[in-house]
Amino acid sequence: MFTLVPSAIAARTVRWRLPLVFVLMLAAVAVFAPFIAPFSPADLPDNYDVVKNFPPSAAHPFGTDGYGRDVLSRVIYGSRISLTLAFAAVSLALLLGTCYGAVAGLLGGAVDRWLMRFLDVALSIPRLLLLLAVTAFWGALPLSALIILLGTTGWFDVARLVRGEVQALVRRDFILAAQATGVPRARLLGRHLVPHLVPLLVVSATLNVAGTIALEAGLSYLGLGVQPPIASWGNIIKEGAGVMEAQWWLAFFPGLAMVTAVLACNALGDALRDLFAMDQVHA
Amino acid sequence: MRGIVARLTSRALQSVLVIFAAASLAFLMLHLAPGDPISGIADASSVPRELRAQWDAQQGYDQPIAVQYTRWIADVARGRLGQSTSHQRPAIDVLGDRLPHTLLLMSLALGASVLLGAAIGAWQGARAGRRPDRAVTTASLLLYSIPEFWFALALLYVFAYRVHILPATGMFDAAMYDSMTPWQQIIDRARHLVLPWLSLTVMGTAVFARYQRATMSDVMREPFVRTARAKGLSEAAVRRQAWRAAILPIVTLAGLSFPALLTGAVFVERVFAWPGMGSALLDAIDKRDYHLVSACVIIGSAMTALGSLLADIVRAFVDPRLRVS
Amino acid sequence: MPSAPQDTAAPSVAASGVRQRHVTTLLGLISTALLACSSADKVTTGETGGTMVIVQPAEPRTLFPPRANQTHELSVIASVFDRLAEIGPELSTFGDIGFTPRLAKTWSWAPDSLSIAFSIDPLARWHDGVAVRAEDVRYTFHVYTSDAVLSESRSLLGNIDSVSVRDSLTAVVWFKRRTPQQFLDATYSMFILPSHLLASLPDSALVNAPFGRQPVGTGRFRFAQWEAGSRLEIIADTANARGRAKLDRVIWTFVSDLGAATVKLSAGEADFLEQIKPENIPQVASTPSLRLESYLSLRYGFVGFNLNARREPLGAAGTPHPVFGDVRVRRALSMALDRARMVRSALDSLGMVSFGAGPRVLIPDTTVLRQVPFDVAAARALLDSAGWVDTNGDGVREHNGQALTFELLVPTSSATRLKLSVLVQSALKNIGANVVLQNLDGSALGPRLDARDFDAWMGGMQTNPGLQGMRQTWASRGALNHQGYNSPVFDAVLDSALTTFDLARSRGYWARVFQQAIDDAPSVWLYEERLPIAVHKRIRIAPLRADGWYANLADWSVDPAQLIDRDRVGLGGAR
Repeated sequence: MFTLVPSAIAARTVRWRLPLVFVLMLAAVAVFAPFIAPFSPADLPDNYDVVKNFPPSAAHPFGTDGYGRDVLSRVIYGSRISLTLAFAAVSLALLLGTCYGAVAGLLGGAVDRWLMRFLDVALSIPRLLLLLAVTAFWGALPLSALIILLGTTGWFDVARLVRGEVQALVRRDFILAAQATGVPRARLLGRHLVPHLVPLLVVSATLNVAGTIALEAGLSYLGLGVQPPIASWGNIIKEGAGVMEAQWWLAFFPGLAMVTAVLACNALGDALRDLFAMDQVHA
Repeated sequence: MRGIVARLTSRALQSVLVIFAAASLAFLMLHLAPGDPISGIADASSVPRELRAQWDAQQGYDQPIAVQYTRWIADVARGRLGQSTSHQRPAIDVLGDRLPHTLLLMSLALGASVLLGAAIGAWQGARAGRRPDRAVTTASLLLYSIPEFWFALALLYVFAYRVHILPATGMFDAAMYDSMTPWQQIIDRARHLVLPWLSLTVMGTAVFARYQRATMSDVMREPFVRTARAKGLSEAAVRRQAWRAAILPIVTLAGLSFPALLTGAVFVERVFAWPGMGSALLDAIDKRDYHLVSACVIIGSAMTALGSLLADIVRAFVDPRLRVS
Repeated sequence: MPSAPQDTAAPSVAASGVRQRHVTTLLGLISTALLACSSADKVTTGETGGTMVIVQPAEPRTLFPPRANQTHELSVIASVFDRLAEIGPELSTFGDIGFTPRLAKTWSWAPDSLSIAFSIDPLARWHDGVAVRAEDVRYTFHVYTSDAVLSESRSLLGNIDSVSVRDSLTAVVWFKRRTPQQFLDATYSMFILPSHLLASLPDSALVNAPFGRQPVGTGRFRFAQWEAGSRLEIIADTANARGRAKLDRVIWTFVSDLGAATVKLSAGEADFLEQIKPENIPQVASTPSLRLESYLSLRYGFVGFNLNARREPLGAAGTPHPVFGDVRVRRALSMALDRARMVRSALDSLGMVSFGAGPRVLIPDTTVLRQVPFDVAAARALLDSAGWVDTNGDGVREHNGQALTFELLVPTSSATRLKLSVLVQSALKNIGANVVLQNLDGSALGPRLDARDFDAWMGGMQTNPGLQGMRQTWASRGALNHQGYNSPVFDAVLDSALTTFDLARSRGYWARVFQQAIDDAPSVWLYEERLPIAVHKRIRIAPLRADGWYANLADWSVDPAQLIDRDRVGLGGAR
């Protein structure tokens, strides 16, 4: 869930390096999880009944869970699931949204009106309610289905943004001029539309990834998202929430990881938005 | 004026369309889903299949889908949202009990978010880019990035468990409420409200502050502000004028923030056992209560449509530009 | 919301200043204190008085007894309604041994034992003041067996032919056959309903009738109020012929999130929590205001194997399951599991290894049973000899091109079984069996079991006293025999055990029943648990019965020396 702030603020203050470094670090953790994680995230230690529910210590900085598994390792592996899922779902949403928005923006007229009307209706149905209904009634969804579900319910905003941008572009002088001089439409699109859309899509994607990470965690916390034994941040939190009085670390550390990721993506999205807005002004 | 009427009529029609779409969608999804509604009522592994089938038939779940659908849409049009299996009474009655609690929570949170957010954002926007603004921006970005459910869990842990100064769950003290004086009852309700309200308001305030900051700093660069300054108005008076221009988008955003608010409410209600629509929905999902889930989707969509309709109306009457066109 | 009577006593002051507010609060407190004194005078004659707040995850659907089937519904119902007679603490189901009178003051058996005449207590009154009549019993049986009501208990009433009214205070229950459990049949499954309030409704309207949300019964507690989603309150029925309940009020509050529920308990906002996670037990134990109790339940858990090929309908002559069709494999899998250690890990001191196809409370003699031992080496050898060998070195055994891989369905509703499933998977990996866990919610699990579309599941059963349910759960063609266990020997001895009138011989039969199910290993008999409850230490509880902790709720009380604020409210502002 994000709102595009109307326009950029003085670009001098744009700070995108720090959030970018953070996002890249998180991505690296996810990619190199097997090399970073000190323990296996899923296999039980042989003495599982002895080492379970240990509070944070030097050997287990994030403590251990009810099966004696190292929570740090689970959080590290959880980042793989949470980030991959968010990334894949958002990619799908961008694809759908871009196609839909571009079609509406380029064709215009009655088609555009109907497509937009549909979009308005779709946007009026709260996404969470939709997700809850589907995930709950289909029972435990496999990861791929969850990605498709989050993707197919997440593209409405994107479509609207893209359509606005396309419409504005199509009316720009240089496009009209190019069209008048008989440049083929396809080439026009390739050369001008796509480069103009890319910044918009990058910003939208970054902010959407943040929202999707939070959403997945929320769904998993309710037991309706990623299903154990696959560990995502959300369902590690779910396991911890029921016992948070006794084992606070179970819900705290995965939550911290989740907030860090959401924060990094939001900060990066904000910064890029400011940065690109400045570029557009100069273009 | 005619433009406004036409526009609002079209928006109202669209709201009806939204409700119809939500009703159809809810019906389709829930009925195409595998499994049977009754298995949610009883542990499916311990109630024989024949009995479950009979319970299904009793609720009309054995009819052809098309028949059920027509009946469903006709019922929705008449304000009937079917029979809740997990409460054994009409779904609309269940929500009639629950929705006011959600609305109370949401409206208090929305009101506070708008006021606080607009104030903070305007303050920031007037000094955009300076150090205090950057500090607040960072803080609001952080708060904006904490999902409500986790924030709520943290509040619960800290304020209801670690330092027990606020009640953990519910809307009032279940054992003492009836024997309290009216004044004590108000205090009791307020104490129970604090944590759920705070969980929703913090995120909301951050959203509105971010938005208001941007609109405000935009307005501050507009020609009329420069003119006002040139005319020698005090900086405070200039900012007041600028804020008047910058507040309008906030009204629109407030109208559009219903889905996000509802999303937050679902999680917050679960954590604090707030007996609202959100917790009713989650319980209904656990128990596979077809009609109650559908009713929640429909009511939630109707609320969203209504929110944006309201924002449109307010804007139509407040924004001079719209009135002219 | 009705306001308490003493509210009018407090001066109504507009909240204008801080000082005034203090005054009001103070006056409020004083008036509450005064009221407390006056009500305390009334009630502290014996050991009565006090309020217990229960926190529980789920709200009842209905309080209409024939359609309630879950613990959180029955706990209220068993307090508000009465049976004709109550089963004894030993849960004996043999004739009327151990049964104590409830609504029926006495009963007499017909010489041929095919009918029992119950004499209703002439002093018994419904909570609305109307006297209880034999007609109520007749009507109750009618409702429980009605096609329009579809009670789950109907299957337990199959041996009752009819109920007739001999005179206004004598109801006669007629049976189809003589069985050792016929007294149980007549009493245990039915809570007596008020015909004067319900009989005017058509049967089809009963299930959704308002009665289900504001019940009128005969119990020592009476229903007070139910605010949807937040609380349900019952109060002592002071006019009850068998004596009022000792507690003034019992209030249920509903908190779906178990974490929040536990916080509520340890913060002192609630006095009683029925479901505690093993992880939270040390926490509760170290909270000074709380006490931990536990009781043996009638539940038992197992790893159930589908003995037939997937999707093979129940009772079909049967292609055996490629893995579980062979008893040697089943026994080997059982041997590979260190059940004691697993159960200890998942349930700490509350877990016990299951003895077999029923809860230990109901097994007459557990010492004679020969269990499948924990022996990994023997398990490996047994698999080897059955032809399951890891030929391609991938760590998983194969046999005739079939890998020793199977899917294990786990209901997400059970934290214990979720946890044990991970331990099962880990242990079986050791002997070259690959378990794929599939967690499903109840609504997804049911259809899979119905269609027999599964390899194995983490099963759990809650039984009734008397073990009659065994016919449904483990006899061939039983409606809940998801595993498709089909043993003529088992069926035969089970039938003998359930029908013999000779107590000693019955014990012998039962031993053979359980031994057969251990030897055939249609399941790994995994765990039983003592169910923990956490209760505030000022509350004195009555014995917890295995079929429901709430059975003697009317005898729970509060230590008069440890009263807290909510105990002083008396019967409350609700009435």
